Amino acid sequence: MIRLFNTLFRKELLDASRDKRSVMAGLYYALGTPILMCLLFSVLLKQLSSTDELQITIENAEAAPALVHYLASKEINHGEGDKVKAIRLQLSTDFQQSMQQGRPAVVIIDADRSNDRLQSAIRRLERALSQYSNEVAHLRLLARGIDPNLLQAIDVQMHDQATPDSRGGMFLGVATLSIILTLFYAAMNLAIDTSAGERERNSLTLLLSQPLSSLQLVLAKVVAISCFSMAGLLLILVVSKFAYGMVPWQQLGFSISLNLDFMLFAIVVGLPLALMSASLQVMVSFMAKSFKEAQTYVTLVLFVPLVLSMVTTYNIADDYLQWLPIAAQQQAMIAFLKGAVIPVPQLMVSSVITLLIFGVCSYASSRLLKSEKVVFSL
Amino acid sequence: MNKHVLSRFYQASALLPLLVSSALFAAPAEVGVVTTNPTKVQLVPCYAKDLPDRLLCGTVQQPLNIKAVKDAENQTISIHFAIIPAIKPLYPTEAVLAFAGGPGQSAFDAAAVFAQALRYARENRDILLVDQRGTGKSGLLQCDGMDLVSQFAFDESTADIVALAKTDTLACKEKLQVDLNHYTTVAAASDFEAVRQALGYQKLHLYGGSYGTRMAQEYMRQYPAAVVTATLDGVVPFNQSLGALGAASDASVAALYAYCEASETCHQQFPRARQQLQQLIQQLDAAPVSTRVRHPRTFALIDLTLTRAKLQQAIRFALYSNNSRALLPYTIEQALAGDYSPLVGLMLSQDIVQQLSVGVNFAVVCAEDVPFWTAESRAEFAKSYLGRTWMQSAEASCAVWQTPAVDVAYTQPLQTATPVLLLSGGLDPVTPPAWAELAMSQMPNARHLVAPHATHIVASQSCAPKLISQFINQQSAANLDASCLNQELRKPFFTNANGVASLTAEQE
Repeated sequence: MIRLFNTLFRKELLDASRDKRSVMAGLYYALGTPILMCLLFSVLLKQLSSTDELQITIENAEAAPALVHYLASKEINHGEGDKVKAIRLQLSTDFQQSMQQGRPAVVIIDADRSNDRLQSAIRRLERALSQYSNEVAHLRLLARGIDPNLLQAIDVQMHDQATPDSRGGMFLGVATLSIILTLFYAAMNLAIDTSAGERERNSLTLLLSQPLSSLQLVLAKVVAISCFSMAGLLLILVVSKFAYGMVPWQQLGFSISLNLDFMLFAIVVGLPLALMSASLQVMVSFMAKSFKEAQTYVTLVLFVPLVLSMVTTYNIADDYLQWLPIAAQQQAMIAFLKGAVIPVPQLMVSSVITLLIFGVCSYASSRLLKSEKVVFSL
Repeated sequence: MNKHVLSRFYQASALLPLLVSSALFAAPAEVGVVTTNPTKVQLVPCYAKDLPDRLLCGTVQQPLNIKAVKDAENQTISIHFAIIPAIKPLYPTEAVLAFAGGPGQSAFDAAAVFAQALRYARENRDILLVDQRGTGKSGLLQCDGMDLVSQFAFDESTADIVALAKTDTLACKEKLQVDLNHYTTVAAASDFEAVRQALGYQKLHLYGGSYGTRMAQEYMRQYPAAVVTATLDGVVPFNQSLGALGAASDASVAALYAYCEASETCHQQFPRARQQLQQLIQQLDAAPVSTRVRHPRTFALIDLTLTRAKLQQAIRFALYSNNSRALLPYTIEQALAGDYSPLVGLMLSQDIVQQLSVGVNFAVVCAEDVPFWTAESRAEFAKSYLGRTWMQSAEASCAVWQTPAVDVAYTQPLQTATPVLLLSGGLDPVTPPAWAELAMSQMPNARHLVAPHATHIVASQSCAPKLISQFINQQSAANLDASCLNQELRKPFFTNANGVASLTAEQE
């Protein structure tokens, strides 16, 4: 029994590894994604941190030289040319007069708030303006012999529980998702090849004519594919470790570091997922009539992990969704990276569900293989 | 009722109100906790004022008397420290040790200011804040002060300042019951070393502000091997008595009025600004003004006896920040015209003195400064009003404390080959750039950078935080591009109670 399975498993491994193109396609994802992410994050961070000089258009600057000067000290300047952001700061013509009379002097920020690329710059300008406003107001009170602290009726002191690692929520979500997706992408080509592909090459019938149960056949395929998925996982973890190490996280006040402990954790958590991913994709491929059709269906299946991950990362749905496969595993990985408490019950339940799905899909595939319609794709 | 605060205004050298500028520009730095170093001490999460980040705090026990032969009879003092963890701890065995000013300020209380000034340095290294013995949470030596109402009403012109300093100090000495000999700069250095060893840091980068620069220099003198770089901001050399602060303050006033004369709006509005100041000083010298003003917080009408002493103190503290400097000509003109409200506003900035540890302040002044005065230096101090009054009350108080002088070698400039970055503000009313030159005479690897328009503590007003971080990373100040320090930091003068009627020329 075991020997039989071993033989089958070795055959599947050999088969799969012979198809270098399929194997490499899966591994390209594991290799390329972290590097792409690294580049993406670096660009994003550069936009977010925006510690560089900010160039905007300041109209009527001569109305408030002191303000313009203050902005310059915060590295916000009037500029001309390409580097200028589409933000116009209009100073009212009676700025000086209003200041003198103690009326609020009007400044207009003219910009498109829905433009993502401008948001941080607008916030920065607003912050600088309110700081200037504050500064002048403080001095006005001092000039009247009044303690400026009177403006601050309550003193709000923030005690932030966050550790730097726990800050990069969005980035962690994307990073962990890309790691989990490997388990699907690395399996995709092999799953199609070993099922729909084998059927088209007519070697499936040959296999089925051997004295084997179809469940053994399916399990051998699934386990072999899972091995490649896990190899992909290992690869992406290693590549991620180096790629994310190069992103200048510190500019945002946190860091993401994938250490050895996390890698081991990800492998343990990823194992049931690999089995599920392989069995699911094998089943879908068998259900398809042809190789091409299988490719389409499997691509659709890949949306499932994506949706489940989005749901938890962006808090779209209720808490009960966090017990589902992929979502719970991803949350556990994020918690591990943040150094927070890992949601063990969720992780356990979802791992069990994951294994159940693996069982169900494998069994369903084996049932499918008993049907002539499936075997000969009639 | 006692009158400590009053005499302390003369007494306290109050070199470093690191906190002055932070009140106006409270822009919280964004960061948090990463690392824990190999520790022999227990670290607990803690928070400092105005800093949202989670810090790690702890204490080490140190002998009170560092020269004691037998530990058995020696009292211990608990030294409190806090770690502001690095964001990305690339150098876990290094830390930036920050020294607060005063003398007598708590480094932990100033954590937000340090976090801001060292925000770039913090990207890769922990920042270590140790409360110097006698300050903050390391056994604060504090005596009660006088409340604002009694302060305002008090008439210094009729009181005998020397006698007052004496009674104040006696009361304080009774209350504290300590031997100030254990609280000198020399005695405190070993506490910083003990914290370093307890936390397992192999190398330190020092950052000192104001008096903290002297503490940093003393640490370098005693533990040269532990220091990789030192940044001294608002430098207080060993070979410079604090009594010279009067001259520094006068020079800073002169620079302010020179700027007013050069500025078109200010000159137009206050053509006789300099004379007005002299006039007010003379008037108050001749006879103090008794009047009623609004309490700055309660708005109640209270008595104000405006004396020359009060005026000079108000000006002295107003000079610390470019914001309050902009109010000065207006304030003086109003006071001459009989409106004292703006002056009351400026008097508020003296609040910072309340936060200082009286004990540490006296320990430094009485053991490390007064004993080394010469007839020459006395004559020098006496030239300015602030220097004169400070000298008188310091002598009177130190006579009460009876603290023995430290070794005379203390007054020698520090000799070190360690890379040192010295920062000075051109308008600094307490530690002028010339002091940094005095300090670096025996430092072959030192570089002195002057921000011409900065006041006290350059790192909280200019691009210096970036320079400090570069200096720490390069371990050399030679290649720093200091051109950004020339940035204009002065504010346009207030010409009425609402602000400026600035012309374009104002900015040039």
